[in-house]
Amino acid sequence: MTSNLAMFVFIAWRNIWRYPIRSLLTVFALAGGLIIVILYSVLLEGMTRQMVTYATDMSTGHLQLHRRAFIDDQDLYATLPWSYLNAAETALPAASVAPRLYAAGLASAQASSTGVLIKAVDAAREPRATRLLDSVRSGTAELGPASDSTDGLPRANVVVGTQLAKNLKLQVDSELILVTQAADGSIGNGLFRVAAILKPVDTAFDRTGVLMSIDTYQSLMSLDSGFHELAVKTPDAENLGTGQALLQQTLERLAREQPLDELGGAAVVRNWREINPTISDMLKLSQSMVVVIGFIVVSLASLGMLNTMLMAVHERTHEFGILLAIGMKSRWLMVMVLIESFLLALISAAIGAALGTWLGRYLQTHGIDFSGTMPDGYDWAGMSFEPVMRGYLDPGHVVNACLIMTLVAMLSSLLPSWRTVRLKPAEVMR
Amino acid sequence: MKRDWAAADVAATGGKLLKLALLPLCLLAPVTAVALEVDELIRHMDKLWRGNTSAAVMTMTVNTRRYQRTMTMEAWSRGKDYSLVVVRKPIKDKDVATLKVEENIWNYLPKINRVTKIPASMMSGSWMGSHFTNDDLVKESTFEDDYASSITFEGERGGQAIYEITAIPNPDAAVVWGKVIINFEQTSLAPLQALYFDEEGLLVRTMTFDQAREIDGRLTPMRMRLQPEDKPEESTTIIYEKIDFDVPLEASFFSLQNLKRRR
Repeated sequence: MTSNLAMFVFIAWRNIWRYPIRSLLTVFALAGGLIIVILYSVLLEGMTRQMVTYATDMSTGHLQLHRRAFIDDQDLYATLPWSYLNAAETALPAASVAPRLYAAGLASAQASSTGVLIKAVDAAREPRATRLLDSVRSGTAELGPASDSTDGLPRANVVVGTQLAKNLKLQVDSELILVTQAADGSIGNGLFRVAAILKPVDTAFDRTGVLMSIDTYQSLMSLDSGFHELAVKTPDAENLGTGQALLQQTLERLAREQPLDELGGAAVVRNWREINPTISDMLKLSQSMVVVIGFIVVSLASLGMLNTMLMAVHERTHEFGILLAIGMKSRWLMVMVLIESFLLALISAAIGAALGTWLGRYLQTHGIDFSGTMPDGYDWAGMSFEPVMRGYLDPGHVVNACLIMTLVAMLSSLLPSWRTVRLKPAEVMR
Repeated sequence: MKRDWAAADVAATGGKLLKLALLPLCLLAPVTAVALEVDELIRHMDKLWRGNTSAAVMTMTVNTRRYQRTMTMEAWSRGKDYSLVVVRKPIKDKDVATLKVEENIWNYLPKINRVTKIPASMMSGSWMGSHFTNDDLVKESTFEDDYASSITFEGERGGQAIYEITAIPNPDAAVVWGKVIINFEQTSLAPLQALYFDEEGLLVRTMTFDQAREIDGRLTPMRMRLQPEDKPEESTTIIYEKIDFDVPLEASFFSLQNLKRRR
């Protein structure tokens, strides 16, 4: 049995090279399809990884902590007391946490003004949790007191989003006026100096974001009861459940020890998938897209395989007839044809995987550079992407693509191999 | 974060909203008995708190779930297009000033010694943490063009003889209300209540008028209270402490220079 099989593999191998050009064309069609599938998955994986990076490292973090009323309608008063910050740090010693405060305001510079989102961050903690303060396009991301204005009024530093800077014609060192409704109902107002302009973060922040220090925020907004948001970066990004559960337990204990006021609602921990359901959905969608597109491409390439094997079976009808006449079992003929197809698929998989991996690695290191036409990168689904589109090669995807290709190729060779079974020796030898 | 500051002319806010509510038909309405009545009411309303020019001192008390604050303000107006309000108390907001000229609103902020203009996108924001919006001030000037008013009830209701006026926005008017209803007391023609409805016909807020005092032969309510329907525990109340009409005020008084100077 095994020796039979070895013999058939040998015969099948010899058969393939009876018409080398035809076989090679088939191999190239299949390998080409495989390369396309691999590159497609490399680019898509690169994009989704960039998306996840933006969704987490850029400003969201892996976990976030808010009051319910802040999640529902950005209630300015829905703050968590500062003691929660220390409690979170104690509960998750390996994680980095960053407190934030938010407010809506009106920013004016020279002649123009626009609504902005004021975001206060802790300059010491924020860089440990996110890259928000690192992605500076111009200036230095310093927060805190700045030099006095020309008429001798005190100013504080702010960092602004890229589109906001463009809309208000702001440069580093420009003066910015912020007016807002403070927590006590008075008009909060202040003079600010633009210390830095950020690179694109996300479309909303780019257009309206103004970053300041927590001290500056507290004096502008007359609000020092606590913070609105705690961003947590955990060391284990894949396994957020444990950290989330731990934090939730800590919150429940704190809520018993020092109850929060009722208006703001309970404290809520959410992971980035819950915070950005669109991204999370998109990730799932892109996985199934790879499978669907891959299946289509490989199926088209397999038509070549179908054609080749039909031809091979057709022109060997006479030969098969003799084999059957001298006692060969027809099912062994079928096995032989299947082995031929399998060998073709295997060669294609080897070539396709090798070339695909090589090209994929190139895309991973060099990427596709659009910075000539889009120096600021591009927006997609509310997220900003870098102008260089970088792939990510996942070996698992290459293996999967090879498996899909082999499977489809084998399916397409079922038809020609089935034909051999139905051959009648008396008819075909005539 | 649906909160903005705004700077606005509170003097005008309370009363003028209403005055304006009534003006639309003056020019266009056919000369019928009812039209004349509406016309009269509108003119009456328009004069109540404003006259040709006015100077007033008032206090505004804002009650919210989170804070309560009281401010004393001085206000001047000329026609319906010009008004200036300067905060006198509390100390924290002293000298914060608001200028309204036609559909534009500017704030002067003494702490930073700057004048800022309220952009169109901020018009729906609250003024000084009150339940009035910037839009309330601006829309006042265009109320006559934006709404068509008619008397929809005449008779006794709640033990008082009243006129009820319903103002419906014109199809092309850029306004936030779907309908405004104003009730007047029949003999004195003092306004009693104004109801603001959204486009679905739901009541959004109610303004009530009381403490009427006779000024220049007209019974003028000295207190108005704005009550948002969705937050029954919140309200903004404006009380006129003093109001003088026909004081000499030139248009140049309502300038950006004067906004900064007027402290």
